[in-house]
Amino acid sequence: MIPILLDLPGPDAYNVGIVAELLGAFEQAVLLAVWKLANDAYGRGILRGIQSALDREVAAGAVYATLDRLEQKNLIASRLEEGTPVRGGRVRRYYRVTAAGVKALNESKAALEQMWRGATWPLESKV
Amino acid sequence: MAAGVEGMTRQSPPRWLERGLIFVLSRRDRETVAGDLLEEYREEQAPRLGALRANLWYLRQSISFISIRSTGGPPMRAALTWISLMTAATGIWLAVMENLLKHAGYGGRTALAVSIALEALATVAFLVLNGGSVFRMVILAGAAGMGALGISAITRNVTGPHFEGFVLIAGSLFIVQALMTFAVVLRRRYRGAV
Repeated sequence: MIPILLDLPGPDAYNVGIVAELLGAFEQAVLLAVWKLANDAYGRGILRGIQSALDREVAAGAVYATLDRLEQKNLIASRLEEGTPVRGGRVRRYYRVTAAGVKALNESKAALEQMWRGATWPLESKV
Repeated sequence: MAAGVEGMTRQSPPRWLERGLIFVLSRRDRETVAGDLLEEYREEQAPRLGALRANLWYLRQSISFISIRSTGGPPMRAALTWISLMTAATGIWLAVMENLLKHAGYGGRTALAVSIALEALATVAFLVLNGGSVFRMVILAGAAGMGALGISAITRNVTGPHFEGFVLIAGSLFIVQALMTFAVVLRRRYRGAV
């Protein structure tokens, strides 16, 4: 009703639903790091994996907040395992990418490639 | 020799830093995240950077959790966290300077400066921990005092014989923090937790 009143196209016109479900860039980086590490994906390894992939220092708070968010979306799952002496015996939380997480990663990659289709990289200014 | 090697491999951040990290973590993450950062500190940061820079790395990581946990809400709440941290730093700086210069009456002014820092840190703790009603009243009372102090400092600075730029800046900071604390805390009170 409101789009008609305001003479705006409805949500379907832009396929908003699909775009909204895409992962953010940092979420993709975290999810990919978990996928690459497979059975070794716990906090420290993930943090180092992302720093290596992005080639910069990353705040641990941002990584753990993203892991929490991805777990709430059921894109990853976690389990606890015993700690080692070097970490003061504190338990480790290991993560794994769920089937829904793999699907989300594949869809994000496909959507990005589709967006870039027809554009030559690196882009040149048209101004 | 063996004890020396053991000491190097078991190098740890200062206890207060570890406690600070655990304080800002959610109950679910306390053990796992603190363990991850300790492991990274011992195996990578301390051997590569040395104790001082490794401690700074650990502090930066801890602050990133304060930022994430307290900025999960509206922008005003995030801004208040950072302003409170600036106010706390100002209070600590004032206390240190008073004790270095030791002008007449510095004891009372040091106590006031420490109170400012504690009030500001309590505000950060309130935001991070989503404090209850008693904590809220304490924070509001502190904010009222902070605002009054800011107004008084600026008034005396402007009307007094010597104008000091830092007093104007610090006084303004206190007033801004007081106003924002009232806005954020009372908003939480009437609209529920943010």
